[in-house]
Amino acid sequence: MTLDGDWVRNATSRMDLTPRIEGRLAYTTDQRHLPGLLHGAILRSAHAHARITGVDISRAREMPGVHAVVSAADVPGPNRFGIVIRDQPVFCDERVRYEGDSIAAVAADTPEQALAALDVIEVGYQPLPVVSDAALAEQQVALHNSHEEHGGSNLLARETLERGDLEDAFSRCTVIVEHHYQTPRQMHAFMETEGGVAIPDDNGGVLFRVGCQSGHRDAEQLADILGLAHDQVTVESTATGGAFGGKDELTVQPAAGLLALKTGRPVMIHLDRFESCRTGIKRHPVTVKMTTGCDAAGRLLAHKVEAVLDTGAYASLGPAVLENYLDHATAPLYRIEAYRVSGRLVYTNNGVCGAFRGFGGNQATFAVESQLDALAGKLGMEPSAFRQINLRSPGDAGSRDQTVRWTAPPAEVLAAAVASPLWRCHDAGTGRWLTGTGMAMGAQGNGLGDGLPDSGGGRISLSPAGHICVEFGFSDYGQNIVESIIQSVCNGVGCRETDVEVALGNSRGPDSGPTSASRSSVLVHGVLARILPGWMNLVRGHAAGLSGHPEDRLVFGPGGLYFNDHQVLSYRELAASVNLDELSASASQDFPVAPDAEQPVGRYLQLQIATVARVAVDRLTGRVRVTDLHHVTAAGRVIYPPGYLGQIEGAAVMGQGMALTEDMTTRDGCYLADNLDQYLIPTFHDAPVQRVDVLDSTPEDDPFPIRGVGELGIEAVAPAITAAIEMATGVRIRRLPVDPGDLLVGMAAQEQAL
Amino acid sequence: MNNLVTERLAVRVMRPESPRQAVSFAKRFRAPYIAGGTWLQPACERDRQWPVQLVALNPDWPGFLGVQETDGGLIIGALTTLDELARHPLTSVYLPPLVGLLNRVAGPGVRNLGTVGGNLLAGGDLSALALALDAEVDVLAGKGTGGRPLVQWCLDRAAGDLLRSVTLPDCRDWRFFVEKLGYRERFSPTRATVACVHNGQQLRLAVCGEGGAGRLVVTEAMLRDQGVRELGDLATVIDSELEALGWQCTQLRLAVCRMLEFGLAEVSLEA
Repeated sequence: MTLDGDWVRNATSRMDLTPRIEGRLAYTTDQRHLPGLLHGAILRSAHAHARITGVDISRAREMPGVHAVVSAADVPGPNRFGIVIRDQPVFCDERVRYEGDSIAAVAADTPEQALAALDVIEVGYQPLPVVSDAALAEQQVALHNSHEEHGGSNLLARETLERGDLEDAFSRCTVIVEHHYQTPRQMHAFMETEGGVAIPDDNGGVLFRVGCQSGHRDAEQLADILGLAHDQVTVESTATGGAFGGKDELTVQPAAGLLALKTGRPVMIHLDRFESCRTGIKRHPVTVKMTTGCDAAGRLLAHKVEAVLDTGAYASLGPAVLENYLDHATAPLYRIEAYRVSGRLVYTNNGVCGAFRGFGGNQATFAVESQLDALAGKLGMEPSAFRQINLRSPGDAGSRDQTVRWTAPPAEVLAAAVASPLWRCHDAGTGRWLTGTGMAMGAQGNGLGDGLPDSGGGRISLSPAGHICVEFGFSDYGQNIVESIIQSVCNGVGCRETDVEVALGNSRGPDSGPTSASRSSVLVHGVLARILPGWMNLVRGHAAGLSGHPEDRLVFGPGGLYFNDHQVLSYRELAASVNLDELSASASQDFPVAPDAEQPVGRYLQLQIATVARVAVDRLTGRVRVTDLHHVTAAGRVIYPPGYLGQIEGAAVMGQGMALTEDMTTRDGCYLADNLDQYLIPTFHDAPVQRVDVLDSTPEDDPFPIRGVGELGIEAVAPAITAAIEMATGVRIRRLPVDPGDLLVGMAAQEQAL
Repeated sequence: MNNLVTERLAVRVMRPESPRQAVSFAKRFRAPYIAGGTWLQPACERDRQWPVQLVALNPDWPGFLGVQETDGGLIIGALTTLDELARHPLTSVYLPPLVGLLNRVAGPGVRNLGTVGGNLLAGGDLSALALALDAEVDVLAGKGTGGRPLVQWCLDRAAGDLLRSVTLPDCRDWRFFVEKLGYRERFSPTRATVACVHNGQQLRLAVCGEGGAGRLVVTEAMLRDQGVRELGDLATVIDSELEALGWQCTQLRLAVCRMLEFGLAEVSLEA
């Protein structure tokens, strides 16, 4: 089926989305009405790498309007944070490792007073050599002193996945291709830049209202930093203007919390776009050499991968990104006899990289799919025919010999892509614009990945107003998870949408784990499947006592419970009749992982996508227009069509940006772009016509019929675009974003060769 | 919006009563002029340094706003916004390709504020076409008022010069090719904008963008002397002239060469 406008219109619910569309939805950083609110600002490093010889905040304390100035000496707990490794200082006092490093922070009556105070903080620097080339980072001065954690080198992590006898497999190959690929340091470019407010309570604790992705995890880190008991810190992740992984890590919270405790007043810190660009997390740039071989019939035999990922100054989620990169580099959709897939994650002074939609997977897929096209070309085969030979079947184990649950046979996904009408468009071989169509496939596993703690819970109850109140710890950052939860509850209970109330993102509520890794929908469905039967029995039992009707004949319906098609009790009446705690239920579950592997492999619930791209390339300039994208997705049952469509289309445009224009390049560790007039994301005029098809053959009794699609749409876009460019011009681009100049030179060389 | 940017320290905006007073203020206070403000705002936000004083220009001053048809061609007031220029009926009569070009200049919000004068002064997208058209500018300077060729003013413009209007020749029967190369479809910094103009007798070529604005007089001379010869030779001449103008990126020069070759073919084909 194709998710078209009718699907979206029919799925329209009671939620008023107009404020979101018109930009009127109030975000956390719009909360400027709080009594006594102070404005915070953070002093950033003036160097990409330097030793700090002194920090003098005395003058700043005397500046007009200033209420507090804090630096490393004011951090009561560990002066460190980080999701995987706590290696990032809240405030640097010995050394700065990137130009976004924090050194001190100020709270003042007005933002300009805070900025003025920052200007008089004196910091002594002794510049150090900048580690800017990831390929050479391991031979340069170590950015972190900890030998225990990093072995005294800039190598943060290395990992190798192996299968079979690689040398033997290569020796039997008829065709071998070897290429280098490079992907960019992409920026999330969310609408709402990082920010939030820290509000001290009367008991020495702090409430954070921030844009974030994991309130519970953040609360733990913040309590440690602030020297507070964990129950003294609360995080409310209120409606956030986009995240995409860029708010998974702590951003302004430590500084805001310290200032709030110091002043006893709420402190708002909201980065402007310049500061966001300079300090925010980015996508890991990857350089990789791939060597892949097949026999004369096109069967993949051998695959070797050597990748270097630049994580920047601090680890953040880099080790997990490396793991996901390598998993995707094993080519999960295809049978390969032997592989050795290895990667190195290195520290540099190039900003900080971490979580970003796709999480390393799409960088790997770009290279893998390009390799397949190269092999097909060498054999004179159609790329789709080459893929057909090597695609896994539903009964096959995964690329790492783990059990895999597909939601449709990969061959059907490929067949649907091959049948795309985009292939029937006429390719113009002459004239100014050269057109071409290309395709790529991708697989993506839901969940945090191998061996990481991954569980989540939720709670259901009746609210005093008579709503079915569902609580999860997830954040709403634009994906509109609220509506998908409402749909799931309505489907499970039989109530109407207006009966359901959803509460999200409070660290005092259920811990659902991070809102990332395309895991929310899976967990919402799983947790509701556990909670609802028991909770409905509980409510029915109570209603039977109140109404006198037999419990097994009471039916949930719109507005209340029914007996013989007549409502006998409203949810409001039920709520008023009982201690509400007695009518609540909660549950949690571990995220499903492959059950039979020796080591837990997270890529159990697998999704697939095949993206067909159509492009027009300007023969004069090398400029590329993506005119159409057709996605064939296999990602389980669609419970909320607008959300599904929005995720796939939105992610695809993000992938298009990565393919064509977006790269936060650095020179000597400093970003060359500082705002969105220099860092260029696609506009509406760049967005192609898109079509999203859904294939789903998940059995009715499948325990995991709902999958998360937050990242799937970005998976195959870049290689589909470069394949289409090759079809149009004969030039294959292996470095992203596509440089029109490089493409033009390649096209000119081809013209001269004719 | 209450944010760090808008809560900057106050800027003194002087509002002179006449163009002459504006020139005087600019000179006396060493203050820049402000019209649409679309260049000033991002530059100042980036550097976190705002001018202490600005001299605001008034579109009600005679000659500063609108498009007028004269015997000699079109006079476009310097404070005419890009959007007004794009919508003006005379634009599509005299300069049909300009409407399409303007649609690719920045975004609607910027075009509603940005002015013709501001765009020309910054070497923006209009520069290439204006240079190729041999536009004349009416400038109020410290020493007086007068018209002069835009190409000359670009070379010897003095601080404090106030642009009142641009005069374009009657080009209704001319043939044009104007093309912008950006990084994306809309709201992109200009990599290069090229203009080819054929007035029935003579070809004129100009560029603006990353390498700067200028007329390709050497190439024009070659075309005048020898006609459109083998493209290889033409490309070599264009490439050399672009490099001499300051266009350092070889790949971009290649793109500009091809755009100009294409444009020349277009305007020559119709000739």
